[in-house]
Amino acid sequence: MEAIWLYQFRLIVIGDSTVGKSCLIRRFTEGRFAQVSDPTVGIEPGKRIKLQIWDTAGQERFRSITRAYYRNSVGGLLLFDITNRRSFQNVHEWLEETKVHVQPYQIVFVLVGHKCDLDTQRQVTRHEAEKLAAAYGMKYIETSARDAINVEKAFTDLTKDIYELVKRGDISIQEGWEGVKSGFVPNVVHSSEEVVKSERRCLC
Amino acid sequence: MRSRTSVWSHECFPTACPDALALAQCRHSCDSCAVGRWMYKYRLEEVPLEVLRQRESKWLDMLNNWDKWMAKKHKKIRLRCQKGIPPSLRGRAWQYLSGGKVKLQQNPGKFDELDMSPGDSKWLDVIERDLHRQFPFHEMFVSRGGHGQQDLFRVLKAYTLYRPEEGYCQAQAPIAAVLLMHMPAEVPPGPGQAGGGQGTPSSKALCLSHPQQAFWCLVQICEKYLPGYYSEKLEAIQLDGEILFSLLQKVSPVAHKHLSRQKIDPLLYMTEWFMCAFARTLPWSSVLRVWDMFFCEGVKIIFRVGLVLLKHALGSPEKLKACQGQYETIERLRSLSPKIMQEAFLVQEVIELPVTERQIEREHLIQLRRWQETRGELQCCSPPRLHGAKAILEAEPGPRPTLQPSPSIRLPPDAPLPGSKSKPKPPKQVPKEQQKQEKASGQLDKTPKPGQAKMAIAGGDACPPQDVPRRTQSTRTHPLRTQLPRFQPTTAPRRAWCPRRVRTPTCNPGISGLQGGVSTHLHGSRTDTFQGLPTP
Repeated sequence: MEAIWLYQFRLIVIGDSTVGKSCLIRRFTEGRFAQVSDPTVGIEPGKRIKLQIWDTAGQERFRSITRAYYRNSVGGLLLFDITNRRSFQNVHEWLEETKVHVQPYQIVFVLVGHKCDLDTQRQVTRHEAEKLAAAYGMKYIETSARDAINVEKAFTDLTKDIYELVKRGDISIQEGWEGVKSGFVPNVVHSSEEVVKSERRCLC
Repeated sequence: MRSRTSVWSHECFPTACPDALALAQCRHSCDSCAVGRWMYKYRLEEVPLEVLRQRESKWLDMLNNWDKWMAKKHKKIRLRCQKGIPPSLRGRAWQYLSGGKVKLQQNPGKFDELDMSPGDSKWLDVIERDLHRQFPFHEMFVSRGGHGQQDLFRVLKAYTLYRPEEGYCQAQAPIAAVLLMHMPAEVPPGPGQAGGGQGTPSSKALCLSHPQQAFWCLVQICEKYLPGYYSEKLEAIQLDGEILFSLLQKVSPVAHKHLSRQKIDPLLYMTEWFMCAFARTLPWSSVLRVWDMFFCEGVKIIFRVGLVLLKHALGSPEKLKACQGQYETIERLRSLSPKIMQEAFLVQEVIELPVTERQIEREHLIQLRRWQETRGELQCCSPPRLHGAKAILEAEPGPRPTLQPSPSIRLPPDAPLPGSKSKPKPPKQVPKEQQKQEKASGQLDKTPKPGQAKMAIAGGDACPPQDVPRRTQSTRTHPLRTQLPRFQPTTAPRRAWCPRRVRTPTCNPGISGLQGGVSTHLHGSRTDTFQGLPTP
């Protein structure tokens, strides 16, 4: 049975092919739970946020398919590989791509420099990545799925930021938009929305 | 003695408990034990060696008289493909069925020519990054830079040169990898075991430079069986997603209703299924059986497999109880129960499912019209899809020079239209075929679809220039028949490469290439407790 959750955020993970999107997600989702099929096991009471994480294909060709899913995401991890300069250069292109297809909604992005365990092969300095992130109003974080560095942090920081925006009302739940959903009785979408709207008020 | 396939099943899951098989393939550990026992039972019911030998000799006879069999006993071929092609002859049979063999004969030296060219660095870079991600546990592909990976590179690179406008699509890599497993280079001095074996010296003559066999099969898949799947924009796969969903309505109204209520776009689950022809979805033995049928009967098989999986995963109210949310539903489809993917069960269901080429073509037209109304004309015009070996053979430059139409409009040989293929009666002689084609063009006239006409013409463009002059040359006497090596059935199938473990345990993205490769995945969900959330 599904545990009770307060919000559901849909996040999308994008970036060039082979930057490590799936490994990052796998580390995050499966590194913690043995059974992926039952993701809510072992949840303690508290403020719960359910993350739905969508992995995407990196090859440009697949964008005609994946771009349909930008719109219904509230957050995104934009990955590049610190050992692959080109993947960093494409960050700009990815942002443009999403900007066009996310209208009229917005996505809160975090820029992720992945494979930071391979520091000796680094082709992108932390400084320039931070500069780029700042220019687009994103946070920057370096992660490694292999060594489990900052993987949790990347997801939780982003989630916290989104949570703040939702609380402040900058992001609101909208009918027909999957980015943020409020839960409680997750399976009965319509009635649950009502329930949780009032729930949200209590939190503030 | 066991056949090589059954040895494999033990090798690949080296645990005493048979349930390990199910465990390795199923992420729902809760019911895996029962399922594991069930699967084990089926494993024991493998093809007995005597039967396998009989089948081998029947297949040898067919391969040696291929034209005759295709012309007169096509149904028998179909039946035998449904029963499963003997592993030792599978690679050859696939080449014959797909017409890859004919292509190779028509274009001698073409592969080598492409192989010698340096290739476009734009594609080489992407291909290289995918090489080690295809079946990374398969002994053929396990070593970085090893023979398997090198051959894979050559095949994929050659395709980008053969069709520069299409280039490389990540979903082509697993397809090419499966083909290579069955058409490997001549067994290198290294692993001698099951080898190209005793009594087949002549196979050397056949196996010129082997990746080219895989290459031409890949070409046939990309151009005849699944045209447009790997092209820029991926429109064909999107159309097929709609077709699949529409067909599901009849096959399993319950599943259809559930998916539409959950607003689950078919692309979320079928992209990888279809683009990789289930190579990354099903257990290995099922993949091979599905491919056997697919090469013979065409895309219909892919649709049927998809429909069977959907029907059995979501087809009853009890099954839906466990997947009431969108996430749960997608998760169910991404980690399908081993039971419904099991070879014998799946194949039987696929054979019995009454979904015909005609239905698919009809639905294709409906969805195409809908697409044109909502999104305009297709941007990539692919040649029309050919439904299986027979259709491909008929579309090949056969013995019908009289059919050459007026010089102003040249209908490409692979243009016979949807309508014509759905005619169940296999034509036996040339005149009949002519009639059929005339009928087909009549049908085209009746339904004046701008897109369709364009598609047919594009089909001509899609043919490599060198095909044209050869067309007349390779007529009646199929080149195939002439230089077949005498192949002795051996106790162990010829294949030297046997999968150790072909699928990653979780079967999906991640480590493996396609991952990113094929689609948008709902990859994970997690509910977290954020105790540290600041409160205002």
